[in-house]
Amino acid sequence: MESHVELDNVTKFYQSQERQLHALHEVTFGVDRGEFVCIVGPSGCGKSTLLKIIAGLDEPSSGEVRFKGKIVQEPQSKISMVFQAFGLFPWRTVLENVEYGLEMQKAPKNERRDVSKRYLEMVGLSGYEHMYPKQLSGGMKQRVGIARALAVDPEVILMDEAFSAIDEVTAEVLREEVTTLHRETGKTFVLVTHNLSEALELADKVVVLSSRPAKVKKVLPIALERPRDRAHSTFIHMHTDILHLLKEELENTLLRHKLRNMDEVKSLHDMEAEDRPK
Amino acid sequence: MSVSRQKAPAVSLTNKIFSGQKITEHLWMVPLACGVAGWEIATRLNLFPGSHLPTFSSVLAVFFVSIQDPAFLLRIAHSFLTLICGLVLAFSIALPTAFVAGSNNGFDGTMTPLVMLFGALPDLSFLPLLVLWFGAGNAAAITMAAVAAFFPIYFTLREGTRNIPRELFEVTSVFKADRFSTFTKMVLPALSPYMFSGLRLAYDFDWEIIIAVEIATRMTGIGSFIQGTVSTGSMANGFAAILAIALVAITVDRVFFRSLESWTRKWA
Repeated sequence: MESHVELDNVTKFYQSQERQLHALHEVTFGVDRGEFVCIVGPSGCGKSTLLKIIAGLDEPSSGEVRFKGKIVQEPQSKISMVFQAFGLFPWRTVLENVEYGLEMQKAPKNERRDVSKRYLEMVGLSGYEHMYPKQLSGGMKQRVGIARALAVDPEVILMDEAFSAIDEVTAEVLREEVTTLHRETGKTFVLVTHNLSEALELADKVVVLSSRPAKVKKVLPIALERPRDRAHSTFIHMHTDILHLLKEELENTLLRHKLRNMDEVKSLHDMEAEDRPK
Repeated sequence: MSVSRQKAPAVSLTNKIFSGQKITEHLWMVPLACGVAGWEIATRLNLFPGSHLPTFSSVLAVFFVSIQDPAFLLRIAHSFLTLICGLVLAFSIALPTAFVAGSNNGFDGTMTPLVMLFGALPDLSFLPLLVLWFGAGNAAAITMAAVAAFFPIYFTLREGTRNIPRELFEVTSVFKADRFSTFTKMVLPALSPYMFSGLRLAYDFDWEIIIAVEIATRMTGIGSFIQGTVSTGSMANGFAAILAIALVAITVDRVFFRSLESWTRKWA
């Protein structure tokens, strides 16, 4: 069966002045329809870059992303996104923010109002329609972000560290609600996170990336029953496994840096030795 | 009993604080009133020659006559419209340039030093040139006002563009906004607080420029009118004109810019 979203050897280089940054290296994995996939990796490894490429906001240097078999070259109306810093327009009310996507699709005013109100109700923000984002807490802002992403009726929802700018208790409640949304809507979710427990709590499948240039280190199916129990022995076991993988990555990176530095010291030493008159 | 006794002074204390706030809000009226009174007394006592400083009461009297004179009002309207044209011209050039400069480092590196270079020059030094090119008329005055207004508008808008979070551009892309609606529904509202403060600065600044241009070139307007009252010795008319300008400038500032700012204060 063909995956809903497929990443095929996605490689990304960033060119800055004289330096070239190798962000992603031949990243390949698939996301099935209705699946909840979490991408974890060491910080700064290029997780968010990968998500932006899936969203069509950035293009891969080589390789491709396919959505329903078609190459993604620009943002797709059926792929929506939830942002880390919420990405709300401060001059728009809660309702107007949720309406934004439908407004861009030129939906009639009545329709977008009704649809947006329905999704606001779904995320528990009925009665807040006419407030401005600055009047809301972080958790409430992200609810608006989620409602906005859902309002355009996407097939895929991408979430970029969606719970990391929110206090832990609120984040926990939101994660539970997202689990429910996922079950009820049957939409495909892809979440980028550095929080392993979060990934294990939400995902059907966890993709572990290596440090830069990010490669797929491991793809772990999570067959645990929902709602997930963090105290469950398998949960703890998997958490330890992934943590171990990531630590290994971190150590590799440190070692690599150390070796490179030692090489530099050595070559400097050699050069000095050559310069010195005998 | 003892509880209510304790509460009573607390209430009156907050009352005092609140009424105190109101007093400080209107404190500016005291020196103003003193100044006007001092003026009136000094001129009545003939401490100044009447040809140099008329009494305040005579200025007020002339003012109320003048604002019923269509020719007088037309002069104010002429100066005001020249100013507005200059502002609009400056804004329509500054908005796209500042937006590109704020979002593109390469362009910013070329454009901004040039703007700073011209901004550092005294704006009015261009006036003789403008008069030479356009003649002593509306075109020169409007261009002069635009040159003076460009600097504050450009820098506030450039700063505003730099402060638009990257994420908001991603939001417009994800939801497939076209270029036009990205500009009108994201960039413009995001820039609006900067836009309003830049325009306000430029507006205040341009009043000085317009008056100076009119005095220097003797073109129609309220500035040349004031100049005329000095040469004809009808100083009360000059002061009445200054009073009228002050009223127009303050009214626009309060009514127009304050309402724009109160809109941004709702959400920003």
